[in-house]
This record gives sequence, C-alpha cells and structure tokens, in this order.
Amino acid sequence: MQKLKKFFSSSFVWLVMLFFYLPIFYVMVFSFNESKSLTRFTGFSLKWYQKMFETRTIREAIYYTVVIAVLATVISTVIGTVTAIGLSKSKKILRDVVLQVNDIPMMNPDIVTAIGFMLLFSSLNLEKGFWTILLSHIVFCIPYVILSVMPRLRQLDDNLAEAALDLGCTPIQALTMVIIPQLKSAIISGALIAFTMSFDDFVISFFTSGPGISTIAIYVYSSIKRINPTINALSTIIVLIVTVVLIVVNVVPMIKERKKRVAQ
Amino acid sequence: MKKLLAVLLACAMVLTLAGCGGSEEKSDFDPIAEFGSDTLYVFNWGEYIGENTIENFEKKYNVTVKYNTFDSNEEMYTALLGGDVYDIIVPSDYMVERLIKEEMIQPLDLEALTNIGNIADGLKSPSYDPDHTYSIPYFQGSVGIAYDTTKVTREELEAEGWNILLNEKYKGQIFVYDADRDNFLPALKALGYSANTTNDDEINAAYNWLLKQAETMEPSYGTDEINDEMINGNYALAIVYSGAAAYIMSENEDIEYYEPFQGTNVWSDAMCIPSNAKSPKLALAWINFNLEKDVAIDNSTYVGYTSGHQEALEELSQGEFAGISAYTPRVGYELDETYKDDNNLKAKLAELWVKVKAAK
Repeated sequence: MQKLKKFFSSSFVWLVMLFFYLPIFYVMVFSFNESKSLTRFTGFSLKWYQKMFETRTIREAIYYTVVIAVLATVISTVIGTVTAIGLSKSKKILRDVVLQVNDIPMMNPDIVTAIGFMLLFSSLNLEKGFWTILLSHIVFCIPYVILSVMPRLRQLDDNLAEAALDLGCTPIQALTMVIIPQLKSAIISGALIAFTMSFDDFVISFFTSGPGISTIAIYVYSSIKRINPTINALSTIIVLIVTVVLIVVNVVPMIKERKKRVAQ
Repeated sequence: MKKLLAVLLACAMVLTLAGCGGSEEKSDFDPIAEFGSDTLYVFNWGEYIGENTIENFEKKYNVTVKYNTFDSNEEMYTALLGGDVYDIIVPSDYMVERLIKEEMIQPLDLEALTNIGNIADGLKSPSYDPDHTYSIPYFQGSVGIAYDTTKVTREELEAEGWNILLNEKYKGQIFVYDADRDNFLPALKALGYSANTTNDDEINAAYNWLLKQAETMEPSYGTDEINDEMINGNYALAIVYSGAAAYIMSENEDIEYYEPFQGTNVWSDAMCIPSNAKSPKLALAWINFNLEKDVAIDNSTYVGYTSGHQEALEELSQGEFAGISAYTPRVGYELDETYKDDNNLKAKLAELWVKVKAAK
C-alpha cells in the first residue's frame, strides 16, 4: 500500500515535469529539422540556425529585445528599490496607499495597460518606437521590484541606518554600504522577475512599438502565417540562455558559500 | 547582482556588435540629394520578402531600411490609424480600396516608375485600382482545392467543382480553410453567386450549403496546419491558397491544385505609399527596385507565392517552380473575383460562420 502510494506520488511529479518540458523539447527537436515542416521530422540540419543569424530582421529583434530588457531591468530595479526604501520610512497611510496603487498594474490585464499606453502616447503625440517601449517596460516592471524588496525591508532593523550614520557614514554611504547589501537577495530576485517580464512581454510591446522596431515576440507573432523552424531555433537559443543564467545565478552563490566554509 | 548585470551587459554588447557586423562598404550614391532622405520605413507581411532584397537596396542607394512586419491587413490598418508613419505598406486588394477611399495612401508618380511595364498580365488592371494610381502589385494568388491524386481524380473535380466538398464519398477527408470570407467562398461560388454579394437570400443559401457540409461531411476546420497534413496525405481535399498549394506540391508529388470552374477568389497584395510618408521619393525607388526582374525572382523564390512581375513569373514557372501548376494561377477567368471592401458583409459572414462551426 505504502509502495503504491509512493509510486503514484512520484509518477505524478514526473507527469507534471513531462507536461512542462515536452513542449519545449518538441520545439527544440524541430529546430533541427531539415525541411520546413513543423510536424514531420525529415532529417538533421543546422540550416535554420544559420538562417536565423543571417536574417537581419531577426537579429534586430533579438538586439532590441535584449537591450530593452536590460535597460528596463536596471532602471526599474533602481527606481523600485529606492521607492521601497523611501516608503519604509514614510507615514503608514502614505505607504499603504502607495502599495495598494502599486498592486493595480500587476492585477490589471496586460491588454488594458497596453491600450492605455498606446492612447497616452498617441495623445501626447509621441512617436512610437524604442523609447515608448522602454518607458512602458520600465513602468510595468517597477511594481514587481517594489513587491519583491518591500518584505525584506520590513525585516530590517529600523535603527540600522541611524547606527550607520552614528558610526560616521554619510547618508549615501549608509544606503550603499549598509542598507543595500542587506537587501541584495531581494533586489536580485526583483531584477530577475523584471527581466523575464520585460523579455517575454508581447502585448505591451506590440501596442507601444512603432516603425523601425520590433521585439522577438512581435516578430514571431507577425511571422505566424508563414511559420518555419527559424522560430524554433530562436526559441531554443532563448531557452538555453535562460537555463545558463539560472544555473549561474543559483550555482555561483553555492560555490562562494563553499569557499567561505573552506577558508574558515 | 553585479555579476548578473555584467552577464546581461555582455550579452547586449555581443548583440550590438553582431548588429553592426553587416555594414560593408557602401556606394558613393548620395540619397539625400536624390531622394531628400536616407531612411526608408517599410511595413510588410511577415516572411514576405527575399533574403537579400533589403541589403541589396541599402547598398544600391546607400540608405537604411527600417523593416517592420504585420500579420493581417486589419493590424496594419490599425497601426496606421494609431499614427505610425511608414513610407511603404503592402496591403491586400480590398484594403487598398479602403485606403484609397479614406485618402490614407497617396497617388504614385508613375513617370518615376521606369519598371512599371513589368507588372504581371493578370494584374495590369486590378479592379481595386485599375490604373495603378495608388498601388503596384507585389504578390498574387488564388484560392483553390488541393487534392490527393491517389484518392480523388481530376475528372471528379472538373465535374463537381466546389460541390465536391459536399460529396459524401469524401466524408471525414476534407479540410476547410477557416479565414474570414474564404470560408464562405466555396458555398457562394458553388451556388453561382458573387463572392461580394449583398443579397441576404444568397447569403442564407450559402449558409445552408455550409450547414449541410458541417452536418454531413465531418469537415476539419483550420488554417496553416493543412500544409503538413496534406504533405502527410491525411486528407483527400483541402481548400488552400495557391502559394500554400505550391509549397505542398513541392513536398508531395501526389498533390495537385484545382481552381473550380464556378470561379474563385483571386487576390493580390500591392505596394503603396501612405499619405503621411516622410520619404515618398525613396519609397518610389523601393517600388521600382522590387519591379526589377532579379529582385522579383529573389522575392518569389524565397516566399513561394506567385510574383506580381511577368518575366519573373514566367522564368520561375519554368525553373524553380517547374511542374507546380499552383504557382501560375488562372488569369482572366470571368467568374473569378477579387474581394471588395465591405465591413457589413464581413461581419455578417463572421456571425454565420460561428453558427456553422457550432453545427458540426
């Protein structure tokens, strides 16, 4: 009986994993397909990878996606962190109101936010393009950073900053040498969330992009009628990059920890 | 944190370098003097241009092309309404008609288009813009039936035309294209009506035709998955675009393409210059460039759709697409029609189509 139970619970986990990874695996396999087909594997070939790197529109889409994601991550992390620290020192009523307002963009469906941005930019007569995408990405990333940093701030001792000032720090030093290091893990996780949100956003980018710029998601969407395995090749590379980043983020602290222990 | 940032920035830098890799030596051509601009904004369908066309144009005229893609006429139209400024757009026939009506595209300086004589025979005087005042054809095609010769004979098709899609011999073996207006096309044409009809009785008759099909034929509805399904021989008959049929036929020799005798839809996509274009002169150069034979051949070979350029079309139908009848659609057949811009009809058909699908 016990064994049976164990069997079921472990096979359930495997099933879930299968559902998670089978589609990704499928996409990867067909990126190596020799023919244009997405359902019939005719032979191994790397030509879709070659085509991906040769096609300028794809290269540009990758370029803009990464640049926007990186910039949006850095800027929204800075703004979000500073806002969170400021809020932790402000009056309760202000803090509560701001945090409530902060939740709205996250709960709001993307499409509403996107159309809001589009109408706003149009009414301001801003030409849609790189800057409008970047601005909107920064805006929708900030709430996630605040949400990630705020709980860690609550755990900090209120007197930490004062102690630092007492011991001769300038206010800036107190911030960068005492408060921020304490928040490091929360900031990193906030930045990671912001990066992934920006990287794979389609709806908001779609409505705020303009002539001369497209992102990976927009490119894939507009090629969907004549789809071919280049899209698979692109997806495979993205999965690989994400995997590598996740491994680095998780393994590097582990190695550091071990080194520390050895040193002790 | 710093490490993560470093990794991300490194990625961005590598990509920046990759992005710059393409800049080779340029010609001495001075685009500012000639066209008053050195940047061209193009808005085209996804996967709808030859692999080297953009680079070749840039090199020839020493300019930069900013290239965006869209997925449907409506998407492009919305972008224009939203204030996006492009120099070249490539709408389909009925959308050209609407853009002319709403004065969103500008008349072309036909004198500057030295290659205008190269337009394909079937597109010399399209119903939506007979004199090419506003538009120059880019690609063309038709809607027809792709059939598996091991299951269906040409004689049967020629005897029944669109009505073969009601022949219970092929129950469960037909694939119906699920796109607006194309879904009603077989019914309207089979009954002898115009694809642009506004007569409610005719629309209702077509609706009943489709209902009968849904109830008796066990049809499959879908869009581009049909390409692989036909190549794998999973269906006997499928409604497809000629361009898709050409691709299917190149992958599976048993498949042939037939344009029913009751007439069908012939479509074309055309290059236009929006009224608010910033570089209309450079845009004209782009249109003229795409009317060059070599460029048109490049485009059509890559995309697989029928060229709007006569010589390119002839050469490819002998060469790259030899033996693939779907590449050369029927020209000048009286019963063939191009869709007219009609939002009312579109909405009506869309509503009825939902009911057809529900009846299956």
